[in-house]
Amino acid sequence: MILNKRTIKKIAMAGSMMSASLLSGMSAHAEEGPIKIGVMLPYSGVYAGPGEAATNGLKQALKEKGNKIAGRQVEFIISDTEAKPARAPELTSAMTDKDDADFIIGPVHSGVAMGMIKSIRNKDSIMIIPNAGINAATGAFCQPNVFRTSFSSWQTAYPMGSEAVKMGYKKVVTMSWNYGFGKESLEAFQESFEDAGGEVVKKIFVPFPNTEFQSYLTEIASIKPDAVFVFFAGGGSVKFVKDYDAMGLKGKIPLIGSGFLTEGTITAQGDAAEGLMTTLHYADTLDNPKNKAFRAEYKALYDKPADIYAVQGYDAGQLIIQAVEATKGNTADKKALIKAMEGVEIDSPRGSFHFSKAHNPIQNIYLRKVENGENMVVKTAAAALNDPARGCKL
Amino acid sequence: MDMSLFLVQLLNGVQYGLLLFLIASGLTLVFGVMGILNLAHGSMYMIGAYLVYYFASATDSFLLAVIIACVIAMIIGIIIERFLIIHLYNRDHLDQVLLTVGLIFIFNAAQSFIWGNDPLGVEVPELLSSSIQLTDIVEYPVYRLFLSVLCIGIALAMYYVINNTKLGMMIRAGESNREMVENLGVDISKLFTIVFAVGVTLSALAGIVSAPIVSLVPGMGERVLISCFVVVVIGGMGSIKGAFVAALLVGIVDTFASVLLPGMSSMTIYLLMALILIFKPQGLFKS
Amino acid sequence: MSVFSTKAEKVFILAFFFIALGVPLFFNENTFYVNKISTMLILSIFVMSLDYLVGKTGLISLGHAMFYGLGGYLFAIMVPEYEEVNFWIYTFYVMAASSVIALIVGLIVLRTSGIYMIMITLALAQMTFYFFADSTEYGGLDGLFIYLKPETSIFGLNFLDLDNETHFYYLCLLSLFNCYVFFKITLQSRFGRVIDAVKENPERATALGYNIFHFRLVAYVLSSSLAAYAGYLFSLQYGFVNPTMMSWEVSASALVMAILGGLGTVFGAILGVFVYESLHYGIEHMTQYWMFWMGSLIIVMVLTLKSGIAGLVEKLVTGKRK
Repeated sequence: MILNKRTIKKIAMAGSMMSASLLSGMSAHAEEGPIKIGVMLPYSGVYAGPGEAATNGLKQALKEKGNKIAGRQVEFIISDTEAKPARAPELTSAMTDKDDADFIIGPVHSGVAMGMIKSIRNKDSIMIIPNAGINAATGAFCQPNVFRTSFSSWQTAYPMGSEAVKMGYKKVVTMSWNYGFGKESLEAFQESFEDAGGEVVKKIFVPFPNTEFQSYLTEIASIKPDAVFVFFAGGGSVKFVKDYDAMGLKGKIPLIGSGFLTEGTITAQGDAAEGLMTTLHYADTLDNPKNKAFRAEYKALYDKPADIYAVQGYDAGQLIIQAVEATKGNTADKKALIKAMEGVEIDSPRGSFHFSKAHNPIQNIYLRKVENGENMVVKTAAAALNDPARGCKL
Repeated sequence: MDMSLFLVQLLNGVQYGLLLFLIASGLTLVFGVMGILNLAHGSMYMIGAYLVYYFASATDSFLLAVIIACVIAMIIGIIIERFLIIHLYNRDHLDQVLLTVGLIFIFNAAQSFIWGNDPLGVEVPELLSSSIQLTDIVEYPVYRLFLSVLCIGIALAMYYVINNTKLGMMIRAGESNREMVENLGVDISKLFTIVFAVGVTLSALAGIVSAPIVSLVPGMGERVLISCFVVVVIGGMGSIKGAFVAALLVGIVDTFASVLLPGMSSMTIYLLMALILIFKPQGLFKS
Repeated sequence: MSVFSTKAEKVFILAFFFIALGVPLFFNENTFYVNKISTMLILSIFVMSLDYLVGKTGLISLGHAMFYGLGGYLFAIMVPEYEEVNFWIYTFYVMAASSVIALIVGLIVLRTSGIYMIMITLALAQMTFYFFADSTEYGGLDGLFIYLKPETSIFGLNFLDLDNETHFYYLCLLSLFNCYVFFKITLQSRFGRVIDAVKENPERATALGYNIFHFRLVAYVLSSSLAAYAGYLFSLQYGFVNPTMMSWEVSASALVMAILGGLGTVFGAILGVFVYESLHYGIEHMTQYWMFWMGSLIIVMVLTLKSGIAGLVEKLVTGKRK
C-alpha cells in the first residue's frame, strides 16, 4: 500500500473522529446511565444504629424525587463498613475503581473516615460525610472532593463552653471516651469555657468502648464540681446517663454535654435523661416547616422517630439532588459538580445551611433541654457557626 | 482518697467483680468439664439481655421475663450441644473453637434481625429501683446491691452442687479424668449436655440480670468475652473457685486503676493477667 | 523427597501461582480487583505465618495480629514524614525491630502452653492495641497516615513503583511465594524436623537432647516477623495504619482462616484466606444479614471437612486420579 499525503491525512482524520466519537459516546453513555451513589456505612456492630438511620434519611430524600435527579435514575451501591477502619481503604477502592460511584456517602466512624479520606484523594468520586466529626476531615486533611453534611466535633461542643459559664458554672469536670471525637469535643468545650472565665478542674478519659462508669462517677462525686460536661454517644450515652442518675448525682451536680448524649437514645434512657442540657446542630422540636414535614415523613416510612443521623443522611441526599440539578444531570464534569455543591443552600430540617471553604456546614448550634422524652430547643447557642478549619488550605 | 471514698470504690470493684464472676463461671465450667473453649459465650450474654428486654416489655413482669429468658437460653444450649458440638468431640480442639466463631456470627445476625440496631434499655424492676445514701453525695442503687447478693448466692449454690451432689461428683471427676468417669458407668454424653446447657444459661443469666444496668447494643457480647477470658485464665481454666477469686481481683484492680492510673487503665487488667501467667503459668488455682 | 508434601499441594500451588501471575492482565481495566487480590495475598502471608506457628509447632496464638499491626506501626513511626525512603532498607528495619520484639514476647509467652498460651498472647496483643489506641502521638483510634510510599531501587535498579497497583500486586505475589518457599525450606531442614519432633512428642525431643524452648522461640520469632512483614505491606498498600489492625478479632479471623484452610499444611493458609474472603465479599454484597450466612457456612464447613479445605482438595485430586 502506498501512503500518500492524502491517505495519511484521511487516516489521521478518521482516527481522530473515531476517538472523538468514542469519547463523546462514552460521556453520552455516562450521562444516560444512572447516578451512582455509593453508601459506606456500618450495618453491624456498635455503630449499626446510626448507619441505618443515615441510610434511611438518604433514601427518604431521594424518594421524594422519585429516585430521579434531572431525569437520571439513581442507583445505590451499599456496603457494610462494620466500622472497621482497616477495611475502609479497600471498600472505598471498590466504590471508586470498580463501581465508578459518583458520590460516596460515609462513614459514621472517624477512624473509617481517615481510611476513606486517604484513598479518595485524586479520585473522581465525591465523598459526603454524613456523620464522622473528626475535625481534620475538613481541617488538616480537607480535599476538594470531600464534603460533610454533619458537623465537626469542634462545632458541637464549642458553644456549650460559654453557655456553661452563663449558667453559673465555674468549676467543671469533663469526661469522654478516649478517642478522637471525644477528645476533640472536650478540647472545644474547654477552649470556650476557659475563655469565658471557667476552669476545667479534671479531665477524665474512659477507654473506648468501656461502659463500666461506677468508679469514675464516684470520683466525680468526691470532686464535687459545679457541673459535669461529657461526650458519649449511642450505647455509652444510655449507660452513662442511667448510671449518673442511679448514683444520685443528677439532682446534685448538673450534667451537660455535647448533644450526642441524648440523640437516638432517649427512649432507652427513660426518665434519667429528663432535664439534661446539651448543644447540637439539631433538635427534634425545631419549629420550622421543613423539620415537621421531614419528621412526619420519616415516621411514616420507617415507623420510628427521626434522629440527628437521619437528618444528616437526608441532607446528604439533598446536597446531591441540588448539585446534580444545578449541573443539569451532568456528573461527568467533577469540577463543575464540586463548584455546584459549594454553592448550594440546603433547606435542612435543622435550618438552612451552606458550606464553608473547607466544605463543612456553617450552621446554627442549639441549646437543648430534654423534656418529656424530646430534645426541646431552649435557644440558639451560636448562629451560623463556622468551624475554624485549622490547617485546611482550600 | 479519703476513707469513705475508698470504701465506695471498693464496693464498686467488688460489685463489678461479682458480675464478672457470674459471666465467667459458665465459661470455666464448660472448659473444665468438656475442654471446650466457647467463644460464643459472650453472644449468649447478649442474647440473654435482649431476651429479657423483649419479654419484660411483652409481659410487664421482670421476674417472669427472667424465667422465660433462662428457659430459652437453656434450650439453645441443649440444641447447640446435641446438634453441633456432639460431632466434634473426637476432633481437634481448634475445630470446636471455629464452630463457636460461626455461632457468634449467627447470634449477631439474629440480634440485628430481631431487635434492630438502636441502643435499648431495660427498666430496673420497681421493687429494686431505689437508692441508698452512702456518703453526703453518693447514693448507691439498690439494684446493684441486689445483683451482688444474687451473684454470691449463685456462687454458693455452685459450690454446694459441685461438692455435695452426684452431679457435682461427676463434674469433678470429669475435670480430672474423663476415662475414669466413663469407666464408672456414667453417661458422659448426658453429663456434657447438662454442663453445656448450664454453662450457657449462666452466661445468659448474667446478661439477663445486668440488662437493667447496661445498654443493649449490637456487639455487646464480644466486649464481655474478653474480660471473661481474663478472669478465667487468672483463676486457672476450669476452676470455679479460681474464677471467683480472679473476678474479684480483676473487678477491684480495674476499678482502682481507672481512678489512680487513668493513662493506662485499659491496659491494667491485661498487665495483671500477663504478670500472673509469668509467675503462675497455669493461673492461680490450677484445676 | 518431593518439594510438596501432598499431591493436592502440588496441584494447588502450581495452579495458584500460575493463575495469580496473570491476574493483572484479566483485570487491567479495573484496579479494584487487583487491589483486592493484593490484600488477600498480604493476608495469606499473615495467615501462613500463623499456620506455621499453630499447625507446625503446636503453639496456638490468639494475639498474632499484634505483629501484623506492629509491622505497619513500626514503619509509620520510623519513617520520616516527608522523605522518600528505600523499601528494602525499611523492610529490613521493620523485620529486625519486630524480631527483637518477638524475641522478648516469646521469652514470656513460651513459658506457658495450650490454652494459657492462647490467653497470654491475647493479653499482650490487647495491651499493645490499647497502647496505640490510647496514645496521642500515634493517632489514637483514628490511626496514622503514611504520606509517601517508599521507592524500591536496589543496586541502582528501580523496576517497581509502589504507587502502581500492578507493580504492588507483583510485589505481594513475590512476597507470598518467597514466604511459602521459606517455610517449606525450614520445614524440610533439620530445624524443621526437630520442630516436628517437638510438636509430636516434646518429652522425647527433650530426651534426645534438644532444648525445645530454643526451637520454639526461633519458630515464634520467624513466624512473628513474617506477620509483621505482612502488616508492613498492608500499611503500604493504602498508606494507612489503624490500631484495629491488631484487635483480637483480626487474630481470631486469621486463626479461623488457618483452620478452615487446613492446619499445618502451609498452602492451606492461601486456600483459607481466598475462600473466606471471597465468601465474605460475595455474601456481603447479596444481603444485609451476611453474618448469618457466613456463620452458617463456617459451621457447615467445620462439620463436614475433617482437615480443612486442603483436605477437600486432596480428596478431589486423588479421587480424580484413581
